[in-house]
Amino acid sequence: MMSITEEDFELELRSLPGVLNVGMSHGESGEVELVKLVILGESPGPIRTQATQIANLYFPDVTIELEVADAAQLTNQVASRVALLSAEFDEVSGVCEVRLGYEGRIGVGRAESGRLIGAVEGTLAALRELAFEISFHLEAVTTVPTVRGLPIVVTLRSFSDDVDLYGIAQSEGESLSAARATLNALNRFLSGPKNAD
Amino acid sequence: MSSLNGSRPHVEESVTRDYEPWLFQAMLDELTNNELGIGFVYSLLELVAKRYSLSDVTVTLFHEMTGVQSFRLGQKNVDLDVFAQQGSLVGVICNPDVVPESERDAIRTACQLSLSLHLARYSSARDHLTNIANRRSFDSTLETAAARSSRYGWPFTLVLADLNDFKAVNDRLGHARGDDLLRRFGFALRSSVRKGDAAARIGGDEFAVILSNAEGHEVTGFLDRLRSNLASAGNVIEFSVGTASSPRDSVDPAELFRIADARLYAKKGISLE
Repeated sequence: MMSITEEDFELELRSLPGVLNVGMSHGESGEVELVKLVILGESPGPIRTQATQIANLYFPDVTIELEVADAAQLTNQVASRVALLSAEFDEVSGVCEVRLGYEGRIGVGRAESGRLIGAVEGTLAALRELAFEISFHLEAVTTVPTVRGLPIVVTLRSFSDDVDLYGIAQSEGESLSAARATLNALNRFLSGPKNAD
Repeated sequence: MSSLNGSRPHVEESVTRDYEPWLFQAMLDELTNNELGIGFVYSLLELVAKRYSLSDVTVTLFHEMTGVQSFRLGQKNVDLDVFAQQGSLVGVICNPDVVPESERDAIRTACQLSLSLHLARYSSARDHLTNIANRRSFDSTLETAAARSSRYGWPFTLVLADLNDFKAVNDRLGHARGDDLLRRFGFALRSSVRKGDAAARIGGDEFAVILSNAEGHEVTGFLDRLRSNLASAGNVIEFSVGTASSPRDSVDPAELFRIADARLYAKKGISLE
């Protein structure tokens, strides 16, 4: 059963579209007094209404403050993200096919190395098709058993030195998790295919 | 550029990363007290800030369900300039910048896992449409309440409610309108229960509530609050209810459901036979 906790309250606020950060101040009694939301977008009205409704369910006397973040930089960054469209493993052929989207283009990568490794290598191949230069190879892909599921941890190692990148993800299906973990690991290197030859 | 299609490096499928010992130990210590969740994220940031005497530390994560999320220790604002300089939205920013990159990566990974697991835990117990508990979660709560009622005699009342003529709304006005109606009713339900009570959507237009320590006038009070909350939000939603109390009617969850269901249908003039 869901518990009425401050953490759940914060998580619910963070799940509102446009909320980027949540800060809380507590009164002497330990109850939340003030919630400050950092939001994106020009019209904070609907977010304030939703946030107030949620706050009333947890801490009825709380005050909600909104701060609009500088959206321009964030929008630019988000727009340049590589999107994972699909990662599918075919049991019969043993091929994992990964589709990525980037600025309206689709890159497809395939690898015949199984559900997990194939997903990572398929992702790297799809990125290369999108003209990214990826100077990393797969070092390890690990399933981490937890009470709540099986997140996948991907370790990529640089070709030129011993720099390792780590990514972790838990999605529906191992291939999807592995592909997403690969993108997470490479995140900071995917600002654009500017390094492509 | 090397090609993975050529000489693929040897890959082991179960290699684990050696994190910094202090960080690994700190995470383990923290896990003995807390579940992985948002609280763990803040605890980890506190540990790092303390160890390196940081004046500020922020971790920014990305999750499909929440989009970009920043967690900043002790401060509320987000400095997007820093992320633009770094070339990535996701990462750990420290001031002063003295934390090794390997540790920042480990911290980000642990925080990402914490956020993901918290969201998974949260959403697995919720009905996606109404954001109240789902059937599975409610059944578990009812089992617990019934066990306590049986053992200690603590009373509670199970309230079942369904919306009148919901099928007609769906048929006449479309499923989007029907979904909106369910959302509004779910929110009103959630607003009407007290702390310690539980509200859930258990089927299409069927809802259930556990009112702790409640019989008689407390149930009436709850229904009055529900009607009042619906009316104040401008919702014209008619519903029917059936109730069963424990331990008076039964201490068996299935039997309580059956009794409340029968009373609900009796009020509607429908025979369950």
